[in-house]
Parts: sequence; C-alpha cells; structure tokens
Amino acid sequence: MTKGWVRCQLGDFSLETEWEAVPGQVLVLFGPSGAGKTTTLRAIAGLVQPLMGHIEVGGQVVYDSDSQVWVPPHRRRVGYLTQRYHLFPHLSLIGNISYGLTKRSTADYHPKIEYLLRSLQLEGLEERHIWELSGGQQQRVALARALATDPQVLLLDEPFSSLDGELRRTLHGEVRSILSEANIPVILVTHDREEALALGDAMQVIDRGQTLSRGDPLQVLGQPGQARVARLVGVENVLSMYVESRHPQDGTMVCGSRDAATGPGPILRLEVPLSDLAEGQPVTVGIRASDIILAGEKLVSSSARNQITGKVICIELRPPGYEVTLDCAGIGFRCHITGTSLSEMGIKPGLDLWAVFKASSCFLVAEDVV
Amino acid sequence: MANFQPMRGFLRTQNPWMPAGIAATVVYVVFVGLPVLALLIRAAQQESFADSLTSNIALQALRLSLITSLVSMVVVVVLGTPFALLLARSDSRILKAVDSLVELPLVLPPVVVGVAMLMAFGRQGLIGPALTNLGITLPFTTVAVVFAQMFVATPFYVRAAKLGFQSVARDYEDVSQTLGVSPWRTFWKLTLPLASPSIIGGLALAWARAISEFGATIMFAGNLTGRTQTMPLAILSAMESDLGSALSLSVLLLIGSLAVLLVLGMFTRRQWQGRL
Repeated sequence: MTKGWVRCQLGDFSLETEWEAVPGQVLVLFGPSGAGKTTTLRAIAGLVQPLMGHIEVGGQVVYDSDSQVWVPPHRRRVGYLTQRYHLFPHLSLIGNISYGLTKRSTADYHPKIEYLLRSLQLEGLEERHIWELSGGQQQRVALARALATDPQVLLLDEPFSSLDGELRRTLHGEVRSILSEANIPVILVTHDREEALALGDAMQVIDRGQTLSRGDPLQVLGQPGQARVARLVGVENVLSMYVESRHPQDGTMVCGSRDAATGPGPILRLEVPLSDLAEGQPVTVGIRASDIILAGEKLVSSSARNQITGKVICIELRPPGYEVTLDCAGIGFRCHITGTSLSEMGIKPGLDLWAVFKASSCFLVAEDVV
Repeated sequence: MANFQPMRGFLRTQNPWMPAGIAATVVYVVFVGLPVLALLIRAAQQESFADSLTSNIALQALRLSLITSLVSMVVVVVLGTPFALLLARSDSRILKAVDSLVELPLVLPPVVVGVAMLMAFGRQGLIGPALTNLGITLPFTTVAVVFAQMFVATPFYVRAAKLGFQSVARDYEDVSQTLGVSPWRTFWKLTLPLASPSIIGGLALAWARAISEFGATIMFAGNLTGRTQTMPLAILSAMESDLGSALSLSVLLLIGSLAVLLVLGMFTRRQWQGRL
C-alpha cells in the first residue's frame, strides 16, 4: 500500500493532494498540464520537498512533516519513469537496466534482469546503444530499469506520450500484464482519456493543484459529476439549460436551452435523467460526442428520447473518425462518427441531419461554485 | 519529381557571398599555414635537430615545463571540478558574480597577471612579508611558475567543466537516485562520465594554455635556467644565441599543440553528444 498527502508550494503554485494506491492496481492521476500531477509524483519520490504532509511507500513512512521524517530518494524504493525516459546515453541497454543493481557481471545476469529482458522483449539487444533503439524499445528499457531495483511503488509520468497511437495501444497491453505480475501499486500520470481507461483501476482528476474528483475511471470519464471535471476529461457537449418539466414516471425531465418565458425564438429541448431540481432552475447537461447517432431523417419509431435537428456547420478529422458539428437552435452540437459513415451518408457542410440519443446518455453536471 | 537530387559539393548554393568567403578562407589558410610550414622547414633544414633538443638548456626547460604544467593541472582539476559543479548547479547571485570573475584571467594581459602576483606574493607585496615570516618565498621559484600557470589556465578548465555539468539535465540525476544510487555515487557513475567530454576538452585547452604561459611567468618567476625557465622562456633566450635550440623547442611545442587538437577532436565528439 502506498498512500499519503502533501501540500507543496512552488513559486505561486500551490498543490494539495492525497492519494492511496493498492498493490497490483493502477491509480491514474488525470489532469491538464500544470495541474500538479508531476509534482505529486516527484514528492512521492522525494525529489521535491513538500511544505507539509505524510507519505508512505510500501507501508514505510518516508516523509512526515509532524514527526520530521525524511527519507532521501535513493532509500525510498520507488521506480520513477519520466516522460522523456532519461536513459543514460553512456551506457548500453543492459548497462541501463542493471544501473541500480549493486552487484553484477556481464556474463551472469541477475535472474531478475533476465526475466525483465524476456518479458519486455529486449533479448538480443543487450549491447545496443540506447539511441539505436526505437521509441517503444526505449520505453521498455526505462520500464525495465525502474522495475529492476524491486521498487515498492512505480511512478509513471506520461510514459507513453511520445509514442504514436498504435504503438501506444500495444504497449498498454504489455505494460498492463507486466504491472499485474509485479504486484506493486502503480501511479500513472496522464492527460489521455484512452490511456486512463486502458490502464487505470482507480482515477483521480487534478486541476490547478487540487483533486476535483476520484473514483472508477469509467465512471469519472463517462459521467463526470462536475462541469470542471467534464471539461477536463473532454466531454464534448456541455450545455447550460433550464428545467422545463419533470416526468417522474419515466425518471426523466425536459430541459430547454433557455428560459422559454423570455420570449419566442428557437429553443433546443432535451430529455435528461431526473434530478431533484425544480422547474425553471438552471442545470448543466453533458453529452459525450460518441454517444450520439446521426440520421439523415427523423426516426419514425424509436426508443431514443432525444431527436434534434440541425445543419452541419463543421467537419473535422478526429482520429480514428470524424467530429461533425451541428447547429441546433444556435447551439453547436458535436458528434463523433466513423469515416465510413461520413462518406456513406454524404455528410457535408450545409446538410440537415438528426442527432439521436437516449435520455440516459445525458448526464447532469454540477456547475462549480466559484 | 522522382529525379530530384540535392545539389552536392562545395558550391551548391548560388550565394553571392560565396566567392568572397572562398577568398577569405584561402587568405586565412595561408596566413596560419605559412608560418607553421616555415617553422617546420627551417627546423628540418638544420642538421642537429636531435642534438639541439638534447642540449642541456633545452632538456631542462622541457623537464620543467612538463613538471610544472602537470602539477598545475592536478591542482586545477582537484579544485576546479567541485567549483565548476557548484557554478553549474547553483542559482545564487553571489555565485553568478564569482562566475563572471572566472573569465577575468582570459582577458587580462598575462604581464598584468605577473605584476599583480608580485604585488600580492612579492617581498614587498600584500601578504609577502607574512609569507617571509613563515619562511616561504614565492617569487622567482618553481612554485611561482605553477602559480602563474594556474592563474591563466583555470578559466579554460572551469568554463568547460561547468558547461559539461550543465549539459547533464537534473532529471538524469533524479532518475539515478530513484534507482537507489546515492547522490555521491550518482556523481561518479553518471554525472562525471556524461560531462567527461567537456571536462577532458577543457583540460586539454587548460594544459595548452599552461605550457605556453610566458608573460606572467617572466614577471613573477623570472627566467632562471632549471628553476623557472620553461620552454617558451627558453625559446626566447635561445633566439639570441642558439637558433637551432629555439627551432627545436618550437617544433616540440607545435607537436604538443597538435596533440591537444587531436584530443579535443576525439573527446568532444562522443557518439552520445547532443543526445542528453
């Protein structure tokens, strides 16, 4: 178990965060750059000194401001993988991996090293210079180097950010299996949603030095409870609306894009899950762009409670598919579709389309109290 | 499109400056090359190259130069390395001021260095009387030769070592520590090897500067055969009486300089340079 809390002050940036990571599980620290994720990792590793706090690594207290405990980084037993790997260029691949081991001879490898080489597919490359390795191989060497010293916690700072999409997905799988075998807590810093979902067992959203939300990655990313979290995790449609009518028998309520009493004009109405808000109260609704179906005409018979029409105003490449933006009653509505759908439906700017989605695809987010 | 090939060779751009550049290059090569060539030709013409080298004065000068420059390099490395590391790793304002002081000997005329050292350590100097009371006399001794060399050569070493240490990003040292390697061992296992091309390059330049030291030495240490007469001073003396010895010693210093260039070329172009 690795847990703790810290308060750090770096210039005028202050960070206050707490965490708890369980062996065999990956805790994702998610947030934009400058949120304080890396500083948290560096505090755990002992590379920055917090103002106050308490840090445990593998059950051992390595920092405690009250009882003045400070264990230097080299005695903390953490594995730390930086974004740029920082492989040592004067050493070969094997020199890098065995760097932290005290006793070694080139002929008779440590069994641990042998295992790491095999499981990370680095066999036969032992004497290579590190710049002769591909990006993915460098990443594996950095991981092997961090694991070679039997750390009690593994800290991964955006370790996949410099790799391209496909390689990243392959490595996610490999890393996942290595990590579960290592059976130590892993703390992964990332701002990539896909990565958080692929690797995370638990997730914590950090912004501007504060933890905004924590929980199961699917939950946090899929239906974030707060508008700030929703924007941070990339919910494409976040709409400010007003409750128009409540339908407790269906467990839904209808919301309008503006207060209908203010006068005539186009209005966007959505049916969303019921909450205890009264009619006329403002509400913020989030809808993931990938939860929306586009249709050429209105579906005559459908269980989807929301069918809204709009004109295509923008089509953007958003690998692996496309993002189509509809103008629905003056509100830009973003939907994700595949390239095949785009060409089969002949979607181009100016075309009228229907966006179809279930009431349960909409979720309510609380506006932050600022 | 398929036949597109980059233009190769010397004159691949139609830059109007190119002819002027070539002319200037030719002038420069002749300007530097001619004296070097002349020295080599004249030295080769004399029959007694070996004899004049093994003459008593030349041998003594050679021996003295080697010993003093070696001693001053040891001191420069032992003191200069931690100093350079501190300069590279600290943001303190006082150290920034000290840092610019490091460059002073580079621009100060060596003769002025000699005068200044006399004013400090000389019999009538600032701390000279105190030293005399302790039974220490510095001016016109072999130690004075080492002092003069250290003064002028240190900046070359400290500057290069500082740049070398700065090129090793802190992140490398951080990673090393998380791998269980103490800061002290991190220095020997990581920082020093990574900075070594710069450090060796700086050492080569510092040694070249020390062995060619003239102005400060003649002011502060004098020109005493066997005690303070290093090779450059011996060359000056020999020019008046024995041109052959002067030529031979000059050729020897020329060879030493070329060796320094070779070392610079070898160590400052390590394969992993630029990959930090």
